Amino acid sequence: MTRGTILRRTIATPLILSALLVAIAVLAFAVGSRPFNQTVIDLFLMVIFVVGLQVFVGNSGVISFGHIAFACLGGYVAAWTTIKPVLKSAAMPGLPDWLMGLEIPFWAAAIAGALWAALWAGLFGAILMRLSGIAASIATFAMLAMVNAIYSNWTSVTAATSSVVGIPILRTTWPYLAAAVIAIFIAWAYAISRHGLALRAARDEPTAAAASGVNIPRARFIAFVLSGAVMGMGGALYAHSIGLVTPDTYYLGLTFTTLSMLVVGGMGSLSGAVLGVVILSALIQGLRWLEAGVQIGNSTFALPGGVQEIGLGVVMILILMFRPAGIMGNSELSLPRRRRGGAENPGQTGPNT
Amino acid sequence: MSELGADGVSVAFAGLKALSEVTLRVASGQIVGLIGPNGAGKTTLVNALTGFQPVTAGAVTLDGAPLAGLRPHEVRCKGIARTFQGGRLFRDLPVIDNLEVTGVALGLSRAAAIAEAEQMLAWMGISHLAGRIAGTLPYTDERRVAIGRALIRAPAFLLLDEPAAGMSAPEAADLSALIRRIAGERGIGVLLIEHNVGLVLGLCDPIVVLDSGAVIETGPPAAIKASEKVRHAYMGTAADTDLPVLESGLEVLE
Repeated sequence: MTRGTILRRTIATPLILSALLVAIAVLAFAVGSRPFNQTVIDLFLMVIFVVGLQVFVGNSGVISFGHIAFACLGGYVAAWTTIKPVLKSAAMPGLPDWLMGLEIPFWAAAIAGALWAALWAGLFGAILMRLSGIAASIATFAMLAMVNAIYSNWTSVTAATSSVVGIPILRTTWPYLAAAVIAIFIAWAYAISRHGLALRAARDEPTAAAASGVNIPRARFIAFVLSGAVMGMGGALYAHSIGLVTPDTYYLGLTFTTLSMLVVGGMGSLSGAVLGVVILSALIQGLRWLEAGVQIGNSTFALPGGVQEIGLGVVMILILMFRPAGIMGNSELSLPRRRRGGAENPGQTGPNT
Repeated sequence: MSELGADGVSVAFAGLKALSEVTLRVASGQIVGLIGPNGAGKTTLVNALTGFQPVTAGAVTLDGAPLAGLRPHEVRCKGIARTFQGGRLFRDLPVIDNLEVTGVALGLSRAAAIAEAEQMLAWMGISHLAGRIAGTLPYTDERRVAIGRALIRAPAFLLLDEPAAGMSAPEAADLSALIRRIAGERGIGVLLIEHNVGLVLGLCDPIVVLDSGAVIETGPPAAIKASEKVRHAYMGTAADTDLPVLESGLEVLE
């Protein structure tokens, strides 16, 4: 078996998932409605976040409550590098001169956001990846709280808790689609790499993985940095989708939404991450419409506000009760093929159930 | 020719001595047996030899050089492999990937690691298991896969922690044949920890007997069978009493 065989055997998964996203983008284009367009942009952003999260959580089995911190880092990079210098000097007077004068296109900001987030993922990861299990999860949460506290208080470069406005808004879906597809391919390439395999072994049986020569902190570190980079890219694009950033944009709400999408789809599966986003986004959108009110005959039927969050919580609890490995469980979307004698798909290995 | 050694190794847990001044040697191609009653410290010794358990005193040595402070994966990189009681396979991964993990962890590309894993499965005669998810394997196959996983990248030493536990007599006989091939064909030094004393008596020379964390006897099988101290440790009885553990074990093997 050669490298080419692994590629051929597994390439269907990212292709199918990308095709699904392309279909959604084409649908939005055909419908041509502005709110629907925005919904689809949000969906693509969630795909980037949840796939980024899956790179680490799915392969390592360590739940991270802190990955949205990397989105925050990326989002502020977009603010620092794309807002017009005049606006920037008013909102964030403490920025160094070279940054103050910088005005780069959105895609460059997304790359810069990814690199900045990866840098910090490396610094945090060097310490956090020595921890295991629940201790590691709590530590990632502490990381989120720290990043939020810094960005909420460092007034001169983040404008503290006030909104930083003036980020050029991108209203077309294509850049977000492209970024989501890139995220999917990054996650797939990592999952089939030797580092991904070693990390999944460590997830299943850490003691035996160490005895097989796997340096577990190092294997986790690689996944942490890579997933941090994807989150940073997503954070920067998120800023471009709404035109502003605040520290609380990237905090508990987004953490909860992305984690519930991952849990519902199935942590151990890249397909699960994408399907979790699509299914829960549809649910959230449906509930939003109901909250806004639906005209039935002469009367308007409306659900009370907050039902959307409650609905998300209920779905997550139901999945955890009846299908704890998520919708996709251990498997990936793939073309029908012979099962016997073959080996696994990337990440076709469920979370411990 | 290589030699793995424990030099006066002691391990204490909160004051309780699990091992006291244990000394043993395993050379390339040799099959050393380690027996002793439950709680004698056999697994603790394997953990100490493989970096899972820091030693309180003494040293683990490879060709005379101490291995102090190495973490388990670093010990594996030095060519000291082990198995665990109960297999501990990567149960969500297919068998081929279980073996492949050792290869990639020790620096091979996936393609090269898969190639070596396939060769290993063929050498062990279990190629038909390659695509099975490890968690679905029966007990005996699980043990064999665990041994195959440990043999990837040709370690110099293999420490087997109760590989025959729960096996029937014919299965244990197959296992003995495999262990002989591992030492004979691959020149690997094997340390075999077993409750099945018969298996050890038929396979190992020398045999080290641990009791309450200390070595009470070392010698060839005949000497171990005749040893008063070994009888006492196992049975708490005098020499003239029948010793079913040893007798039944011998029947199993021959």
